[in-house]
Amino acid sequence: MSEAATDKGNLFPLLAKAAPLLLAVIAVAFIPAAHPSPNIIRLMFVTLVWVTTSVAWNLIGGFAGQVSFGFAVFYGLGAYTTAITYSTGVDRFDSILLGACAAMLASLLVGLPTFRLKGPYFAIATIGVSEAVRVIMTNLGFTGGASGYRIMERGPFNQLLHYYIALALAATAIALSMLVRYSKFGLALLAIREDEEAASDLGVNPFRTKLLAHALAAALTGAAGGVFVGYAAFIYPQGVFGFDISVAILLMPIIGGLGTVWGPPIGAAVYGFVHEELIASFPQFHLLLFGSLLILIILFEPAGVMGLAYKVVGLFRRRK
Amino acid sequence: MNTVDFLNLLISAILLAGVYAAMSVGMTIIYGVMKIVNLAHAGFLMLGAYFVFELYERLHVDPLLGAVLAFPVFYFVGIAVYWSMVRRIPRSDQPTLPSLLLLFGLWLVLQNLGYMIWGNADRAILTPRTFSTLQVGQLIFPTVRLVVFGVAVASLVALDFVMHRTWRGRAVRALMQNSDAGRIVGVNVDKTARIAFGVGIAFAGTAGGLLAMMYSFTPDFGGSFLLRSFVIIVLGGLESFSGVAIGALILALVESFSILVIPSGYQPAVSFSLLVVALVVLPNGVAGLWNKRQRLT
Amino acid sequence: MGAILKLEKLSRYFAGLAAVKEVSLDLEEGGLFGLIGPNGAGKTTLLSIIAGSLKPTSGKITFKGRDLTGAKSFKAVQAGIARTHQVPKPFRTLSVLENVEVGLRFGGSQRSGNDAKDAMQVLELVGIAHRQHSPASMLSVGDMKRMELARALAARPTLLLCDEVCSGLTESETEQILSLLRNIRKAGTTILYVEHNLKAIMSVCDHVIVMNYGQKLIEGSPQTVRSDASVIEAYIGKKAAQ
Repeated sequence: MSEAATDKGNLFPLLAKAAPLLLAVIAVAFIPAAHPSPNIIRLMFVTLVWVTTSVAWNLIGGFAGQVSFGFAVFYGLGAYTTAITYSTGVDRFDSILLGACAAMLASLLVGLPTFRLKGPYFAIATIGVSEAVRVIMTNLGFTGGASGYRIMERGPFNQLLHYYIALALAATAIALSMLVRYSKFGLALLAIREDEEAASDLGVNPFRTKLLAHALAAALTGAAGGVFVGYAAFIYPQGVFGFDISVAILLMPIIGGLGTVWGPPIGAAVYGFVHEELIASFPQFHLLLFGSLLILIILFEPAGVMGLAYKVVGLFRRRK
Repeated sequence: MNTVDFLNLLISAILLAGVYAAMSVGMTIIYGVMKIVNLAHAGFLMLGAYFVFELYERLHVDPLLGAVLAFPVFYFVGIAVYWSMVRRIPRSDQPTLPSLLLLFGLWLVLQNLGYMIWGNADRAILTPRTFSTLQVGQLIFPTVRLVVFGVAVASLVALDFVMHRTWRGRAVRALMQNSDAGRIVGVNVDKTARIAFGVGIAFAGTAGGLLAMMYSFTPDFGGSFLLRSFVIIVLGGLESFSGVAIGALILALVESFSILVIPSGYQPAVSFSLLVVALVVLPNGVAGLWNKRQRLT
Repeated sequence: MGAILKLEKLSRYFAGLAAVKEVSLDLEEGGLFGLIGPNGAGKTTLLSIIAGSLKPTSGKITFKGRDLTGAKSFKAVQAGIARTHQVPKPFRTLSVLENVEVGLRFGGSQRSGNDAKDAMQVLELVGIAHRQHSPASMLSVGDMKRMELARALAARPTLLLCDEVCSGLTESETEQILSLLRNIRKAGTTILYVEHNLKAIMSVCDHVIVMNYGQKLIEGSPQTVRSDASVIEAYIGKKAAQ
């Protein structure tokens, strides 16, 4: 299915696209009114954090086609920066912002050498960078080393506050993703994904464009890490920098539909709920299930949930 | 540091390099022929380790023999994986995302299988050989490392022979250089790819067995070695066999000698940093540097 | 009208082998230039160097008075050079319209402000307007070649580099493309056209350059080049030339 990449000068389609987001946000915002258990709120909170990372990764991995296997580094940097600044007295929102900035700066450091790489080298390099940072953080004294960093909590724990912060961030991420997708910048990303050389031959600056998308994705992911910190009593390197976090971050957009606007959030929702259920009921099977899911998706429906959805819609259209 | 210590360290690095090379050559073959980055390599290293372990524990088969036996067993495993999954994904001259993710998914599955069957306790293969050493003059060599090195090198020599002296081997090398040209001169791409994949997995299994003789292991054993394999083939230049040997040597040397200057906690960061540096500074690996003269871009 | 493009002793080596060897060339503004030569002569390589897709090993490129040697292709596009590819490089999952939009929005110069209209205009010019919403991967070879041309045109280049835009097309399709090229030139764009179809070249170009073994063999009007012995020799062999 091919929609127009740009919708300039045509307000209605833009509003039509924003409507589902508005509806979803309102729906999620009203869930607490039904007084669900704190466990459900926690589950939703975690899922919303994942929505942000999923949408963020999709900017560079889905739209631009640059597959990073090391996005945990931005999540972890955001988390640690937020945790440390918050514990030293910085206002909560500012500390999350600082987390996002730290991640964004790191993305430039990572991107500058790696975006020149071709083929699988980029993916491999991202693993190397993320793991190197994890090892360093595990050994670093002032951040608590392997046992982690304790967050100084000021005031009582307000579960709903964090819920709404996570919702706000997720909504912002999706909105940004939509803006990017239907903008000139988004067109450049798609062109780079399809054929970087041809894109350059038509005037797109691939290096700068990739760096920008990467920075945006990293900032959102760092913010997600910072938001997560609000819920956690302490964070530790394996928990925020671990390779399994990088895996989860990239798995979600793939499950939902790589390179689409709604795929990543859907994938995050699927992953969030399934993951929690699995960890609770079959902790020893979850790698097996996700691995098999990934294999099945790749073999039978590489376009994920969104791909399936389009096919189903196509079936209905033909029946008419 | 005196000469004896230095020589000891140097020799142990070389011995390690041999095993590292055998460990990485499987990935190189698969990538060279199919442009697939085999992330499941780690899973097969792990399975190779447990294969040899089980043979030793249950049937008292000498682990060296076990590692050699792993080769044909894992060859057929590789063929099975190729036939059931790998051949169904779109083929390309460039590494594709589906291939990356498919094998990654497979790695996750293998890891979980490992946990389910063997749990997460540390295992080790302990034989009388494990603790014996060989002394030559003032130099001391752990016997295990010597024999493992021997098998590793033997397998690489055998590979080299097959690659250069048999038709099938030359077909594989042809596909590694140019799959379209290979097709034109009559190479059966599908069959050759299948064989290459099988050989790649076979090497992973055998290398896993060899590594298990030197290190203790759990089901996520493969991970750190996977990264090391990346470092090696990147250093060597993803598609070259001699490059693998060089890359293995460089990594082994850096790892062995960096213990002297870097606290042990930071050790893993050495391979990662080396990886990133290698990727940035040597985009075509060390082999790329000296191949520049012969290769046409 | 002066020289819009000046190539001075341009060379490109690949691991010791010269694909392009000391080629010097002046292209007059507003001309329609043909570049011919047997297979492997280095024509596409030369085109790639001018477009910025490839860096020259040595030599100098001056375009509209500016030194563009070694400039990357997106810089060349901004300066006013656009190219098509011998083997089309479509953005497969994007629609034909989106493909052209890339050229339009990143190509630099004058736009009317209504991108959709400009894009459709270009599509109509090359004759694939009816396929505007098709994913590029579903086009026939001929249509893909036209889309290549449309994309490059959408960038409003001052110098258009065409690489075998007519190969694989029928007689009448070729004639359509050739008349399109004539119109583009009439509108002020300079064209450098690489082609194997000698008849096409001879009928549309006012100046022809011949390459062989990476070097410029001869250049001149189509008639001069057609009857030159060394050119015939290059293509067919010594006997035919004698």
